[in-house]
Amino acid sequence: MSNMSLTGKKRDYDTQRQLLGIIFIIPSVIFLLVFVVYPVCYNIILSFTDARLMKSDFSFIAFDNYKKLFQNIRFLKYVKNTLIWTVFSVVGQLALGLAIALLINKRANVTGLRSFLLVPYVVPAVALALVTKWVTNGDYGIVSWWLNWIGLLEYRQSPLAVPGSAMAVLIIVNIWRSYPFPMLIYWATLKGISHEIYDAASVDGCSAFQMFWHITLPHLKSTTTVLAILRIVWTATYFDLIWLITGGGPAGSTTHLPIMIYQTSFGTFQTGYASSISVILGLSLFVCIVFYVRKTISNDR
Amino acid sequence: MKKMVVFLLLIVVGSMLFAGGGQEEFAQEEDDNKIVIWTNLTADAQAVVLRKQFAEVAEEMGVDFEMVTISFGDMYTKLATAVEAGNVPDIMHTNFSGAAYLYSQDMLAPMDDVIDDLGRDDFIASYLHVLNADGKTWGLPDWALHTSVWYRKDLFKKYGIDIPTNWDEFKAAAEKLMIDNDGDGKTDIYGFPVPLNATHVAAQTFYEFLYSAGVTTVDPKTGEYTFGSQKEKAREVLDYMMELYHDVSPKSSIEWSWSEYRNALVEGTVAMTLDMGAVILMSQTNNPEMLENLGCFDLPGPDGNKAASFGSGYAFVGSNSGDAEQIALKKEFLTRLYTKERAAERALSRPMFAFPSLYSAVDTYRQDPKVALFGEQIDTITDAFENNNWYWYGMENGLSQLSAQIESTTFFGETLQSVALGMENSEDAIEYIDQMLQEQISLLD
Repeated sequence: MSNMSLTGKKRDYDTQRQLLGIIFIIPSVIFLLVFVVYPVCYNIILSFTDARLMKSDFSFIAFDNYKKLFQNIRFLKYVKNTLIWTVFSVVGQLALGLAIALLINKRANVTGLRSFLLVPYVVPAVALALVTKWVTNGDYGIVSWWLNWIGLLEYRQSPLAVPGSAMAVLIIVNIWRSYPFPMLIYWATLKGISHEIYDAASVDGCSAFQMFWHITLPHLKSTTTVLAILRIVWTATYFDLIWLITGGGPAGSTTHLPIMIYQTSFGTFQTGYASSISVILGLSLFVCIVFYVRKTISNDR
Repeated sequence: MKKMVVFLLLIVVGSMLFAGGGQEEFAQEEDDNKIVIWTNLTADAQAVVLRKQFAEVAEEMGVDFEMVTISFGDMYTKLATAVEAGNVPDIMHTNFSGAAYLYSQDMLAPMDDVIDDLGRDDFIASYLHVLNADGKTWGLPDWALHTSVWYRKDLFKKYGIDIPTNWDEFKAAAEKLMIDNDGDGKTDIYGFPVPLNATHVAAQTFYEFLYSAGVTTVDPKTGEYTFGSQKEKAREVLDYMMELYHDVSPKSSIEWSWSEYRNALVEGTVAMTLDMGAVILMSQTNNPEMLENLGCFDLPGPDGNKAASFGSGYAFVGSNSGDAEQIALKKEFLTRLYTKERAAERALSRPMFAFPSLYSAVDTYRQDPKVALFGEQIDTITDAFENNNWYWYGMENGLSQLSAQIESTTFFGETLQSVALGMENSEDAIEYIDQMLQEQISLLD
């Protein structure tokens, strides 16, 4: 009897705990349903329609938007731009973030310096865009003048008016703005590497480079993978900076898929077509996310 | 248990949705006596005058108002989302394309009764024509702007250059004005910039040349699509523009927008530029010494006969939402804004850029010290408004959504920049523009 009563109480207790847990997650679930699941599903549905901002009704057109997209001669160019923008930005952010993390990891008292190094991360994109346009102005920009002086740019030319250099400027600015996040993560990881390993290596006569190559880098492998995946997703969908600095120009040389989506949506008002582009972009990034989740699970194990 | 959770979630989500609807209704009831006005004028001087006049009129009528400024670049994004949400402002002060967009969405109330009350004859007829569709006038024109070539009178005099009368003379003048002041082999003053920023500016530059040569998007009389049948002429126009870009324009002008080319003239690094007269306010603000050196003339036609010019303007439009009483309230508000003093004051907030829509206000405008230096230029421009053809892209036949489609996209800019950079030839570029224009038209259908 007593055992049964205890079992019953335990069951009640478990049910209560489950209910409490469910109540706690309800706000998050609602948030996800309203702000993630619904928009994503609606976007996928729209991609199979001729929806336009100019009219409230729309009809199902199967894969027409996708056919149109893959027949668009400029789509491949924008995909290429997206790849260049993403790959170079991410590699640059990680490299700079790691370099600075290694630097501050060597110093004992770096609180002030660390805070200072975080400044780029909090600079508003609009301010950064204005300054970038100012310093690269063909008439009075200091960067343009300097590039002209060393012979890399024509007289009174702006690097933003030349296809290759416009993308390079954007990538450099993006690296500068985004390196603090990898820097912090790398720095936290570096703090977790035991000094004893370095001491042992030092006793064995390893050089600084050998210690970096054989001890530091292997310890940073998982962090780098996770960081790379996160940054790829964030960078590939980052819109503000490019739109504000070049608007996708010159000649579409900095137009990446998010700008194409924006232009299709709010330029030609073709919501359905724009949705199909975002589905393609989303699917590509989904592969990254799956990889990230699998990596996280394997790390946990 | 799972069923219970799903049920709970449905109730919560449902109640949130209904709660939202209830709030909206409440807000609507509460705001009946308040007029919401959007303007996409973000030039400080104009916004200040508008706010002042709205406040005066609101006080006269005993109503509240809320003025929302929307940057020009965000205009279509905001309008599209407002239309989608059924939440357009009561009154909007916007350019002709914005008016066309709202008209196409069936969001506007016709304004013929207001215009008749104010005196139809006092409105410059060509301003009214632009806002016409289906036999009605869908807005009150506020002011219009006209594209001219603004130039340095002092340099023309110094180098013995006459006002060009055809495209050959124009290019020759620009070449003569490639000036190396200090003899270091580098050009200090360029003859004529060809600004090609993909957002708005490239299309505007191109259309001024197209119109001068007689190429239009649609037939001004019938509204039929005509660009496709004028591709050869359009290609010649593009080739000429590219010659100017390569020979007499700073290379960075490929990315120049309004502020860059205006600043270049005001600061003395170019000798001429296409502009709508905004260089005057910029000069008054940044370099007053330059003011007396500035003059304007119409870009000539290729062989001397200019077919038309590129121009636009701003209008007040009122939404058709609400009952008869609310619509009457909006119309009364607008009527009170159209005294000759107020109309002139609004135009004078950007002197020589904005020209008032009322004849009676033009007289007041002329007498203002801000434009006293430019009597001759005012004559040229007002004459063009009254007696010549002037169009806004896609609206050659009156109010058309096509203008919003052209204005909000960047395909003109991207294509023209590609030609300037040698990445595409002019023939392919014109083919692509034709294809894109036809696609835009088919989307409207």
